[in-house]
Amino acid sequence: MKSISLYVDNKTWLTGVHPFTKLLYIAAAISIPLIAGKLWAFGCCIAVSLCALAAGKILKRTVPLIAFSFTILLTIFLIHGLFHQGNTNVLFSVGPLRFYREGVLYACRIGLNILNMLLSFAILVLSTRPSELVEELEKRGFSPRFGYIINSVFQIIPQMMGTMSTITDAQRSRGMETEGSLWTRAKAFLPLISPVVMSSLINTRERAVALEVRGFGSKRKRTYLADRPAHRGDRAITICLLLLMAAVVGWRIGTCLLSK
Amino acid sequence: MKLFKTKLDAATIVLIPACIGINYLGKLFASFLKLPLWLDSIGTCIGGCLGGPIIGAICGAANNLIYGFTAGDNITLIYALTSLGIGLAAGIMARLGFMKTFPKALATACVAGLVAVLISTPLNVIFWGGTTGNVWGDAVFAATQAAGMPVLLGSFLDEVVVDVPDKLITLLVVFFILKGLPKKLTALYETDAKIESLD
Repeated sequence: MKSISLYVDNKTWLTGVHPFTKLLYIAAAISIPLIAGKLWAFGCCIAVSLCALAAGKILKRTVPLIAFSFTILLTIFLIHGLFHQGNTNVLFSVGPLRFYREGVLYACRIGLNILNMLLSFAILVLSTRPSELVEELEKRGFSPRFGYIINSVFQIIPQMMGTMSTITDAQRSRGMETEGSLWTRAKAFLPLISPVVMSSLINTRERAVALEVRGFGSKRKRTYLADRPAHRGDRAITICLLLLMAAVVGWRIGTCLLSK
Repeated sequence: MKLFKTKLDAATIVLIPACIGINYLGKLFASFLKLPLWLDSIGTCIGGCLGGPIIGAICGAANNLIYGFTAGDNITLIYALTSLGIGLAAGIMARLGFMKTFPKALATACVAGLVAVLISTPLNVIFWGGTTGNVWGDAVFAATQAAGMPVLLGSFLDEVVVDVPDKLITLLVVFFILKGLPKKLTALYETDAKIESLD
């Protein structure tokens, strides 16, 4: 069964870093350029993220993530380059299409912001096992019920995908069309999805009974199966990130005061 | 019957991951059949209708947060607010009795669609400068921008064109599924159910 998580344990140092450190990095990478308000700050954060990804040997697996949002980046450039409200100066023209300086600059800002977010998230997503993140959260007082919800999603989806392909085959063998005009494809949606949804909802009843029997509602303190080895870099990275964030806030306030 | 009364027992906790899975499947089928809609809130609406507004809201928010943090689809992360609103709206409408008949389900669909539009539009403007990433919607947005209309209005129309039909189909699917569920399952989620003793 194919898992929906993108994590692969490749034994690099990045997989050993504590999930919270990676979360803090995301917060820092997103907030620093926004606070600084300069285009080059985005560039710096993107460069740092790329270095971290390369060091963790997961740069190649980032490509599909970026390709996924490439179309939306492209539409942003097209729409704002051509039709942005403040457009006055023509930057360049391709045939009859004129791209304006203001629109392209605005699109650059949005595009870099998105790229920055994607890369910083890629670090967490590609190098952290979801159940490890959940377990660390639970150790810090996160509700185990919600922890169960998250872990269970990762078990349920591969199961449902299995049911889905069974049902698609079954309906096709009964002569249902799944290709053709929009109307034919739209008609196929209900007979395909309703059996999967029905069966998974009916299964919840049995799942609930099974959980109750195994003490799901118990109020006693829980113990954990896996002990995670301490990582030496965590504390240093955390302190550096916090200092950087404070420095950017200080710099921004300083420049605001000086300009007045 | 209280509007926001919620049971948080094992049955409702198990319902949430199932609903998130259903959301995922809806999206998968929509892309498998190449439909020009998202259809990724079927589970959220089922959660809202069965478990009430709070469960609907948790389903919606958890759905986007989980995919954002683990499957690398972090564009959906900021739309956690929209999903939360959809789940809440569907739950409240269902509790008010608006999922009982077919015409009433249409009203629920319109409310959920409008809630989604109202929450998504500011998010689209802030993060994407107004586009949504859906072909039809973005064509409308480009047309409004070319005609010199304000970004907010363009983005609003962009969302209306996509979100309202999307929620209409979503809630119709939900309506037919809920009608087909066995009573022994739906009885688990009734908040005003009473246990009677025989002696």
